[in-house]
Amino acid sequence: MLEFARYYGRRRVKGAVAMTTGFAVLVGLYVWMFPSVSEGIDLDAYVESLPPALREAFGLQALGSIEGFLAAELYAFGWVLLLGVYFAYAAASLVADDVDRGRMDMLLSLPVSRSRLLVEKYASVLVPLVVVNVVTPVVVYLAVLGIGDSISLADLAMVHVLAVPYLLVAAALGLLASVVFDRASIAQRVAGGGVFGLFLVDSVSAGTDVAWLGTLSPSRYYDPTAVLVSSEWDLAGAGVLLAAALVLLATSRAYWQRKDVT
Amino acid sequence: MSAISIAGLTKDYGDVRANDDVTFDVETGEIFGYLGPNGAGKTTTIRTLMGFQSPTSGTATVLGADVIDEDALVEAKRRIGYLPANPAFDADATGRKVLDLHASLKGDPRRAELLDLFSVPLDRDVRGYSTGQRQKLGLVQAFMHDPDLLIMDEPTSGLDPLVQRTFNDFVRRERADGKTMFLSSHVLSEVRRVCDRIGIVRDGRIVEVASVADVLQRAGKVVHARLRGELDREDVDLAGAHDLSVETVGRAGESSAAGGGGAPAHVAATTEVTFTYTGAFDDLVDYLDRYHVLELDVEEAPLERVFMRFYDDGDPDGLAARGDATATASSDDEDRGAVPAGADTGDGGDA
Repeated sequence: MLEFARYYGRRRVKGAVAMTTGFAVLVGLYVWMFPSVSEGIDLDAYVESLPPALREAFGLQALGSIEGFLAAELYAFGWVLLLGVYFAYAAASLVADDVDRGRMDMLLSLPVSRSRLLVEKYASVLVPLVVVNVVTPVVVYLAVLGIGDSISLADLAMVHVLAVPYLLVAAALGLLASVVFDRASIAQRVAGGGVFGLFLVDSVSAGTDVAWLGTLSPSRYYDPTAVLVSSEWDLAGAGVLLAAALVLLATSRAYWQRKDVT
Repeated sequence: MSAISIAGLTKDYGDVRANDDVTFDVETGEIFGYLGPNGAGKTTTIRTLMGFQSPTSGTATVLGADVIDEDALVEAKRRIGYLPANPAFDADATGRKVLDLHASLKGDPRRAELLDLFSVPLDRDVRGYSTGQRQKLGLVQAFMHDPDLLIMDEPTSGLDPLVQRTFNDFVRRERADGKTMFLSSHVLSEVRRVCDRIGIVRDGRIVEVASVADVLQRAGKVVHARLRGELDREDVDLAGAHDLSVETVGRAGESSAAGGGGAPAHVAATTEVTFTYTGAFDDLVDYLDRYHVLELDVEEAPLERVFMRFYDDGDPDGLAARGDATATASSDDEDRGAVPAGADTGDGGDA
């Protein structure tokens, strides 16, 4: 068991390390500039002057505190948007790229069910998902200590724990696109664009009378600002996300099992 | 039990019917060649057999497993080796990693032996492989778990002639060990070399399933004889002789003049007789017994010519006749050119 997961997981290690390193550098940069930025500018007044949709989109609250600053600059942008799009995009190539490049025949000739191939390929995205969410909080914590500030360890851990279901949904959306479309480039565009679009729907509709539209967006169920600034852990939201990921995975699997691979 | 059994298999892609009521069996222990021009539907049949796509109608089984029953097919795949047309692997994985992955899922008791036969740069990324090296990597993975049934789509494409020969020898040895092979090709001579039976597919339909021996029999032999004496076309009354060409190359008078040395004129008269023969050898031998045979060549007719019938919509006899006319004309030309040259040399030798 898990031969495919191991094989494809190993192939993601290099990328995971590179991505995590990039985020570590970004964290270092943000935390290092925070003292001077927060002293030089009244960030809270600045946030007040922004339109509500933008505030909502990037969770701009208590920007003057390190928690609020990181929630907005690192998590709302880096995790909800960037990583969301990244995992959707990465998962979108899981199946479509092999079909596109004629490698799928070779894989399906192995004595393995389509279902297992699909699930194990999906599981391989856990490598970057886990690496980036385990390493980054450590870097954040040390960096915050480094500037003589402090941050709640529990909230910091939780912002990453709750990110996992969110990113699993993004990846599952990518997977669905990957089994539906035979061309990786199309699957990637649909999945990446889809996650970005849902994020926008959630942000733009927030505070309007069509706010219910945002309930369709995974980003509605993962709010790093609430976790870091108000210590509000939306466990129910995480449950919704996990359920959504499972439904998307099951749908992808059902489609993939019946599909003619061309 | 048949290793592969296909009944009424139809695959409709909407705009094109790639397989239309395809029916044939591949028996255990035989090498079956699936022959047809590019685009005839060979790959469609093979990919349906492997369960990559489901048939529009009809059924097929491999090693007893219905191709639309995934669990049964997955179980059967442990005993199946598969080589796709243009095998593709992860470009940034080394050949070794690719084989390791395959080995982890189906085993590799014969890996080393196969790598000796079909050597590939194992520690290089597949990206850097030539077409032939990718093909060889595909062959190694297809055979390395020692499967009972091999399904191969154009197995020798991209291989250089030397490796092709290695492959042909290997395939024959494997057959002797009881393996069943189903391979597609558009190269007739290749199929003829290794296969026991062939199925010919054209525009998605099976036009012929026959043993290679059968097809060769129908194709006949090309008989070329040089006989002493003068013959007319009417003298060659042998049943089963087609595409006849009769050419008297030395007449009594001419030979006498050219030969010089006072040899009896009638001795030098010879006739070249060429025909395609589909009858029994005994009859041929009996017929030739009437003559003094100076030279006799009996060789296989080129399969390409025979298969033209299956690929051409026109009347096969008409096609054959056209082909004969051309062949006769050209051989006439050659003969006319060759005879004086031969006579000159003969003179030189005598002098």
